[in-house]
Amino acid sequence: MKHKRSSKTLVGICLVLLLALALPLMNACQRGMEYKIGITQIVTHPALDSAREGFIKVLAGEGFVEGENVEYILRNAEGDMSIAASIAEYFVAEKVDLILSIATPTSQAVVGAVEGTDIPVVFNSVTEPQAAGLVASWDKPGGNVTGVSDMAPVEPQVELIMAISPNTKKLGVIYNAGEVNSVVQIQMLNDIAGKFGLTVVEATAASTADILAAAQSLVGRVDTIWVPADNTAVSAFESIVKVGEENGLPVFAADVATVERGAIGCYGLNYTVVGEESGKIAVRILRGEKPADIPVQMVPLDELYFNRGAAQRMGVTIPQALLDKATKIIE
Amino acid sequence: MSENENLLWLRGITKIFSRGTIDETMALDNIELGFNAEDYIAIIGSNGAGKTTLLNVIAGVYPPEKGGKIIINGQDISGLSEYKRARYVGRVYQDPHTGTAAKMTIEENLAMALLRGQPRGLRAASNKQRRELFRSALAPLGLGLENRLNALVGTLSGGQRQALALVMATISRPAILLLDEHVATLDPKTAQIVLELTEMVVKREKMTTMMVTHNMELALRYGNRLIMMHEGRIVVNMNQEQKVNLSVNDLIVAFEQASGEEFDDDSILLRQH
Amino acid sequence: MDAIGHVLSFSVYEGLVFGFVAIGVYVTFRVLGFPDLTVDGSFTLGAAITAVLIVNGVNPFLATLAAPGLGLCAGLATSLLNTKLRIPALLAGILMMVALYSINLRVMGGANVSLLREVTVFGQVSELLGLKTGIALSIIITGVLAVTVFLLLNWFLRTEIGLALRATGDNEQMVRGLGADTDMTTILGVSISNGLVALAGAVVAQGQGFADIGMGIGMIVMGLASVIIGEALFRPKGVARLLLAVIGGTFVYRLMITIALRLGMAPGDLKLITALLVIIALAIPYLQKKARREWLPPAAKW
Repeated sequence: MKHKRSSKTLVGICLVLLLALALPLMNACQRGMEYKIGITQIVTHPALDSAREGFIKVLAGEGFVEGENVEYILRNAEGDMSIAASIAEYFVAEKVDLILSIATPTSQAVVGAVEGTDIPVVFNSVTEPQAAGLVASWDKPGGNVTGVSDMAPVEPQVELIMAISPNTKKLGVIYNAGEVNSVVQIQMLNDIAGKFGLTVVEATAASTADILAAAQSLVGRVDTIWVPADNTAVSAFESIVKVGEENGLPVFAADVATVERGAIGCYGLNYTVVGEESGKIAVRILRGEKPADIPVQMVPLDELYFNRGAAQRMGVTIPQALLDKATKIIE
Repeated sequence: MSENENLLWLRGITKIFSRGTIDETMALDNIELGFNAEDYIAIIGSNGAGKTTLLNVIAGVYPPEKGGKIIINGQDISGLSEYKRARYVGRVYQDPHTGTAAKMTIEENLAMALLRGQPRGLRAASNKQRRELFRSALAPLGLGLENRLNALVGTLSGGQRQALALVMATISRPAILLLDEHVATLDPKTAQIVLELTEMVVKREKMTTMMVTHNMELALRYGNRLIMMHEGRIVVNMNQEQKVNLSVNDLIVAFEQASGEEFDDDSILLRQH
Repeated sequence: MDAIGHVLSFSVYEGLVFGFVAIGVYVTFRVLGFPDLTVDGSFTLGAAITAVLIVNGVNPFLATLAAPGLGLCAGLATSLLNTKLRIPALLAGILMMVALYSINLRVMGGANVSLLREVTVFGQVSELLGLKTGIALSIIITGVLAVTVFLLLNWFLRTEIGLALRATGDNEQMVRGLGADTDMTTILGVSISNGLVALAGAVVAQGQGFADIGMGIGMIVMGLASVIIGEALFRPKGVARLLLAVIGGTFVYRLMITIALRLGMAPGDLKLITALLVIIALAIPYLQKKARREWLPPAAKW
């Protein structure tokens, strides 16, 4: 019927117009930039955001400055994996010079999409890049992909807990079983718990809304709480702090950003540093090195952060010796 | 009349709703009824008399109380669920929307109706032969539906849908046809057309029919038997000779005599026009 | 222009592969009138089982076939909860979706299974046909699958059982009155739907190189949006056109997302932009009708 056909044509024309609009917009940005770098993130999150900032900062410091010779294309999948795949496709279509992928699912999507091209990929905040299939091995990644892992050794963190709360016998942990890096950390914790005479009590949550309940479930069952570098738990960290302070339960974490928000203390896995290290790798690649030869990096835990106010509210004192070694003390 | 001679036999049918609560009602009170093949029974009664409940029990929408039996052609179907009983019972509802599927075509609706009570498989639902069958079933209605097999049923008027529902109810030759106030929502002119179509279909297919209606005049005009219900019981049960020359007033008198109550249901009286 | 070509071809691929999800959602929500939320879980289930089988050395074609098998079971569970235990459909779907989260974690042995170093159906077909892996190959593979599914469904929905299934969503009382077991038709429809969705999950996982516990999130919304867009834009009549319209709607929806990505706005605003674009796509046909002073039906609740 005439009406049906004309409405379809009209819609088709509108779509094409939209496309036509979109392209010049893109073109305007990229005029004259020597390097085009795509940055893809799985979700908005303080740690991942710092990793991105660290990356950009290092590149700027090495002469790769946004607006001067670099155009960044920043995209966020906002938790939707199918969009992460679309973003990866988009970068490939744009023939970017390098892709920074932040977190595991985004990196997997990117590596899947760049297959057959020679676009180099630098990842950060991926705990187990070999298990994720991103690299052939830590030492010799062997393809176009390399980067920085955020795997943090657990033992020093447990030592820190024992130093501040020596009477801890039962250690509670809160995490999302759907996050690979968290599962890895809990695994490592379980492996060494015996050495410290600790029993580990686990409370899992499938989303940020469930974190409060998970924390509450530990009250009365544990002496101390430790939160691994888990996106879900860290996003809802305030709930855990609340439970800790109300019940005199000391709360420790693995992510430095949480100390400001109420964790007693932490060996810094500083995500800004993670980002910076990945930035250094990117600079090497942009200057001609092959990703296949650059081993995957781990970030050393050499910062120590404390929150004295939190310690007081949760009923513990931080030994002066540790405070002296601290990189930063928050009241 | 013995059980085996009747086409349909209802024995001791009682139905109680909301048992044990304040709203407990006995909708049907020990009904005993038998009909022969090709009987056309008109059932009237005021609201709450139990007419629709009776149809529902026959159709299997809910079971009668223990001890009640429904026997068709010698077979006790009292225990069968609604969809298993469908083989024996065709039904046209008051609301034209209830008996037909609006989003499907006339052909598809009839294809579904044809398989009433039979197992359905992976054969194509409609083919050339079936389409011919549908056309020959629809043509006598004189509504032109046989030329519109691909029309969506939702585009038909209320009267057309009821006519279709009628054909759907009978095309598979069930043992009994139940008509539940099937012209009540139609305007008088359309109602008249549908009633005449009903008469025609019933005669042509030699169906055994129960028609529930509010309208005493219709009950007198159509059918070879008349039953009047009141508070779950049958209070008037007439055959052809008895009803043939009755007027509406005669019926009212008969009711009052049989039930010992004043006939006070204005809705029935008012519907005579 | 090269970029338009890429945008369109990628959207065609996504339209085809996510089209299965939309068709599954169409069969339950529209045909059966059964609001089935199991989809978020069964999508991931299909991906999970296929990924695990491939990693353990099973032939990728067989592994992919396992997905609809398990999806069918998930749908079976949901519909049994509803028909035999009388749990309301919406709740039954939610319960299964929640249960599947744990089941999927178990199947994968974790939250993520990588397929980047494995041979997938894409890899195998590429070898068979001697074509390079890439968007063209992906479209061919998903296209063949889509045509097969389309033909099968088109035939099935016109059979005696298929008709009873369609009528169940239209007028369940009538169907029972006609002697069809509406419990059976419901179970059949919901199972088939989830089988299709799981198949989509399996193909998507192989296409993107990994299966992840979070990949099903939002599938139901995407499916519904695709169905609604397809119905609004193409106004299809009849089974065959409806199926095509649903795939078309998926294509348009994914195209909107791709366009939104390219419009270069703040990274966190993608969802808002997509929603706006979808609103425009839905409003255009309606506004046109209004301008022509055509009769407008009242607003559908969904």
